[in-house]
Amino acid sequence: MITDDALVARLRSAMPPSEFRRPSRDLWPRVRRSEPAGRGLMLIDLGLAAAVAACLIAFPQWFWVLAYHL
Amino acid sequence: MPEADRHLLEAFVHGDELAFEALFRQFESEVYRWILRIVRNPTTAEDVLVETFWRAYRGRARFDPERSIGAWLRRIATNASIDAVKRAVPERRWMAIDEQVAAPAAASADAGLERSIASAFRRLPPKLGVVATLALVEEVPYADIADALDLPVGTVKSRVSRAMGTLRRELARMGVTP
Repeated sequence: MITDDALVARLRSAMPPSEFRRPSRDLWPRVRRSEPAGRGLMLIDLGLAAAVAACLIAFPQWFWVLAYHL
Repeated sequence: MPEADRHLLEAFVHGDELAFEALFRQFESEVYRWILRIVRNPTTAEDVLVETFWRAYRGRARFDPERSIGAWLRRIATNASIDAVKRAVPERRWMAIDEQVAAPAAASADAGLERSIASAFRRLPPKLGVVATLALVEEVPYADIADALDLPVGTVKSRVSRAMGTLRRELARMGVTP
């Protein structure tokens, strides 16, 4: 059985350290497009809005109760 | 990593988009390089870089401008990289770069053994694999790994040792005794 050092040397030969690279393109547009402020409505916002709308259609008399709590 | 101007950091914390872009431009290369050392795949590294800066922007309120932005970004990048490694199928982990180096390895007499070692290494649990990749393959100092993972140095050493043990067991299971 080989020593740990020899095993690590074999490992490095099989998987050499990564070479220095730069990203293949400018990634700022992707970061900017995806940042939270630019994402618009989240699913939870849409779900809440749908639930409120459904409540108002089914129980229009709840309008003032919902208006008070929201 | 280089350090950023304090006013720039404060503007970033307050959500200034120009400050965010300036920080991205300043740290993009270093963070990408760090991510590539962990995920070992340029395309995945680009995805993780974008994810890292999303996470940084989302968590900007928790950043203290008195502290090192480079270290903070590296920590976020490390966590995002570990998530990416966990999502990858074991056989495909770190494959892109390894495929590029397969040709010279194949020419040597021990090519089969080295392929087995690389294959067994890819099967390490991500928690051990990431630490072992940084320490054994990339030769990053233990203190830097500990800082990036927010762990004590002793824990990093212990994970490297466990990774070596697991690697030997996996090789034995494959019928390889180096």
